[in-house]
Amino acid sequence: MSQEVTFWILSTVAVVGALFAVRLRNLVHGVFSLLVFFAALAGLFLLLMAEFIAAVQVLVYIGAVGILLLFAIMLTERVTGDDARRVGSRGWFWGLAAAIAVFVVFLLPAIQQTDLPKTAQPVESSIEKLGKQLMDPYAVTLEVLALLLTAALIGAVANAQGAKPKEEDSK
Amino acid sequence: MTLEHCLILSAVLFCIGLLGALTRRNAIVVLFSIEIMINAANLNFIAFWRYGDNPALLHGPLFALFTIGVAAAEVAVGLALVIAVYRHFKTVDLEKLDTLREQ
Repeated sequence: MSQEVTFWILSTVAVVGALFAVRLRNLVHGVFSLLVFFAALAGLFLLLMAEFIAAVQVLVYIGAVGILLLFAIMLTERVTGDDARRVGSRGWFWGLAAAIAVFVVFLLPAIQQTDLPKTAQPVESSIEKLGKQLMDPYAVTLEVLALLLTAALIGAVANAQGAKPKEEDSK
Repeated sequence: MTLEHCLILSAVLFCIGLLGALTRRNAIVVLFSIEIMINAANLNFIAFWRYGDNPALLHGPLFALFTIGVAAAEVAVGLALVIAVYRHFKTVDLEKLDTLREQ
């Protein structure tokens, strides 16, 4: 019963946070609203017994991605982002129509027409087993992910570094 | 809380992310709308793991873990690209970044 109530509170917070993140004009407020969404999702993962994923969600999304987004916003435009006319323009109506159409035409029928399992399986704490799985059958995947992250790090630095000072002197 | 509730919540969150990606002109907002969609997919992985057969195999959390890693790489490169684009064009408005289009 209390699980039920927690689920509804967390899902409401997640939906409202995501809506504000997408619609707020002020980008900094939008990012903070996005962080609320990430936190609610971490709570939902806890509720679904995936403790490690909840911790990773807090570390990676609230910790790293949120700060990265804030830095990107402060390094680029004025924080107000799109002006009011653009946030509430005609494209907004068509975007809303497209999103609702995707939900009603594709996602909702797929959920309702599938025979879904009703009860949850009992699961015990899984962090130890997760670590062992990552070391035994998924070691190659883990290595590939590490390689991808290294490549992304180098690529991000190379992209964001910009022009060399020598070229700026010649200007 | 049943599997159906989780799936519907995840579908709603996915559509909110889609709405943001389709309607906003700021490249950073489009990037974090995509993050919302990725997170909705992660919620699906975890919910299917919790309610599906054989939870001891941990396929759901493992898949979600790798997705989070890939999404982190994506957002790092994406934001670096946004900063590079801003340095070149002095704007991150996606409607004004149209130099490939015929003038």
